[in-house]
Amino acid sequence: MKRKVLFLSVFLLAAAGMVLPALPCHASDGEILIGHPACLSGSYAKAGEQAVGGIQAILDWVNNTRGGIAVEGRKASLVYKYYDCESKKESVTSLLERLITSDKVHFTFAPYSSGLTLAGAPIAEKYGMIYMDHGGASDKIFQQGFEYVVQTIGPGSLYHAGTLEMVKAIDPSAKKVALAYADDEFARSVMKGAEERAAELGFEIVFNRTYPAKVTDLTPLLSDLKASNPDVIIGGGHFEDGQLLNRQLADLGIQPKLLSLIAAATLPAFGEALGDLAEGVMGPSHWEYGVTFSEKGAKKLGKMWIGPNQEEFVALFKKAVGKDMIPDYHAAEAGAAVLALVLAVEKADSLDPDDVREALGDLEFMSFYGGWNIDETGKQVGHSMVDVQWQKGQRVIVWPVAAQTGKPLYPKPDFK
Amino acid sequence: MFFEQLSGNLVQGLILGSVYGMATMGLSLIFGVLQVVNVGHGAFIMVGAFTALILFQSLGVPPILAIPVALLIGMCLGMIFYYGAVKPLVSPSGAGIRKVGRRQLGKAAGVFVAVMIAMRILSGVLDLNIAFSIFIAIILMYAFLVYVYGGRRQEKGPELATLLVTFSLGVILEEVVKQIFTSEARGYNWDLGKLDLGFTVLPFTKILASGGSLTVAVLLYLWFNKTRAGMAMRSVVEDSVGARVCGVNVDWQYALSFSLGIGLTVTSGVLLTMFIPVGINPYMGGGYTLKAFVIAVLGGLASPYGAFFGGVVFGLLENGSYTLLAALPGGEPFALTRFFSFVMLLVILLIRPTGLLRRKG
Repeated sequence: MKRKVLFLSVFLLAAAGMVLPALPCHASDGEILIGHPACLSGSYAKAGEQAVGGIQAILDWVNNTRGGIAVEGRKASLVYKYYDCESKKESVTSLLERLITSDKVHFTFAPYSSGLTLAGAPIAEKYGMIYMDHGGASDKIFQQGFEYVVQTIGPGSLYHAGTLEMVKAIDPSAKKVALAYADDEFARSVMKGAEERAAELGFEIVFNRTYPAKVTDLTPLLSDLKASNPDVIIGGGHFEDGQLLNRQLADLGIQPKLLSLIAAATLPAFGEALGDLAEGVMGPSHWEYGVTFSEKGAKKLGKMWIGPNQEEFVALFKKAVGKDMIPDYHAAEAGAAVLALVLAVEKADSLDPDDVREALGDLEFMSFYGGWNIDETGKQVGHSMVDVQWQKGQRVIVWPVAAQTGKPLYPKPDFK
Repeated sequence: MFFEQLSGNLVQGLILGSVYGMATMGLSLIFGVLQVVNVGHGAFIMVGAFTALILFQSLGVPPILAIPVALLIGMCLGMIFYYGAVKPLVSPSGAGIRKVGRRQLGKAAGVFVAVMIAMRILSGVLDLNIAFSIFIAIILMYAFLVYVYGGRRQEKGPELATLLVTFSLGVILEEVVKQIFTSEARGYNWDLGKLDLGFTVLPFTKILASGGSLTVAVLLYLWFNKTRAGMAMRSVVEDSVGARVCGVNVDWQYALSFSLGIGLTVTSGVLLTMFIPVGINPYMGGGYTLKAFVIAVLGGLASPYGAFFGGVVFGLLENGSYTLLAALPGGEPFALTRFFSFVMLLVILLIRPTGLLRRKG
């Protein structure tokens, strides 16, 4: 009996010794706590890793290069507290509660994706906490009357605005547009935007259908789409389904002049997975390595500039994730959300959510991520997107012309 | 146009269905013999998909040749997981005679502490981080507990416990694969050309995937019905007590069926990537788990080739119904295919509650 007690206590002590450093600690006076239910496993693990890396990179810059945040007469540093939400709605809500009530964070960040961002928003609202939306693009998030949700990613309705303008500019004879999207919150808002834009620009929508988000075989939908014989196909949803759509279009020998896929096509993994079949495929992106936003450019436009330049951001990101990995837009938009918060806290000179929210509303600035400005609902209106295209295994920015790193390949080469 | 699309979708559905069927046989086999529902099913499919991907990308092995490798990997995993986690819960015989006291728990804790201390000392020499040390210590402690408790005489665990165990195994596999390969969605390009049927186009890899599935199903059927080993396994399905009386080693049959079931599932992962060679990631299995349950019930839960048949029916329903539903005005046909397939499932179960291929009594 005695031995059992002894063993047990040694075991517990050893276990406690391992776990203790990981327990939550409340902010001391000079610290500002940011809480984030991050998607580190589950369907959005890839985007989640990027977002966490982006936030850590900018935190590093704010605390070490900039020297912290000046608020209420002192210099405070940012502290980042995150848990893995497993890409699940239930975990998002319970982790937000935990971050707010038990970790007592000052500001919250939304998880990745429109669906999860929407799931967590009511919790942040309930506690009157600022909720920085960096990866939820759906316009619907800003039609619910939420007061504390602030968007950094551009709204879904604008994803394909540039793409369609590009087609109109290069090839006025291309008229028929087919839309094939995942049936989820984000893709639906993108599709609606593309549909409206296409109508404005005089395109004809010849096919407009959704597929379930977790789909295994798109053949029936694509055979149907093939019959409409479109010039332009735009669609997609997230990562796996985008690859599947591209692959099965090739399998069925459907040859559009332009193919643009949301989310999937902007990731390096897309080109690796599809090889030659990715050639000429496009995707709208919020930020790409190679965009040319600079302090000088901001000055020319008469806008305030904050944060590291592109190369500095990439270096900080690599340091944060501990890998030789180029950040994609999921990292950039999460990092830019931190910059917005920093400026707003200083402007409000307070940590009170209402003061900071007001300051965010008045804020307009530029950073490596581009412009940042929100409307009265919290929706991002100051940021413009770019279109990237896969050319010989590389992502090239082809639209708008001002941001080009290469000429668009149009019409796209046929699938072999 | 309508008939062209319908026939195209039916042909595609047939091919998809045979792969679905293949992906369900392992689930049915394990349920039939052990009465264990493998909730981690999809994770094993994912292991197969990664096997095909890695062999093709780093060694240039064509996926069709990855099948035996996948079967072997799957059977090894199956054996390890059976003896390491499942056996204590389903053991029908109380085979072991080792007596276990509470002291063993203390010893297990001792193993953990000893390993932690050893790792701390070693970390001066090697570059070990603390998470890695804990990980190794937990594995060794677990192995010790399996050694102690695995051979113990005991009663069968409740069925819910096996659900939890297979669920955990699935999660562990997913996370381990994620640690090694990251959660990036991957893919490969194995181009063998295409067969143009006029109304639809079939890449040869898809045809090969379907042919491979059919071959495995036929081989399994022959093995079950024509060989002694197969019949021994079937006797356990029919009546495990009777089989024991007749001299069948039921314990070994349990281990073998679990291992074979996992082997088949991992193999199906390879065939699945021949059908869809993209979107390979650690969490890809979830959707297949759900589908496999439906197909298994449709085919008659305990019958592996019934599962194959059920898969074909499900594939035909899912793809074939699209054209019919697209002819309806309004609505989203793809979302409705799910609705349609599940209504058909209810109808089939209403008429044949034991599933399509379950023999009577």
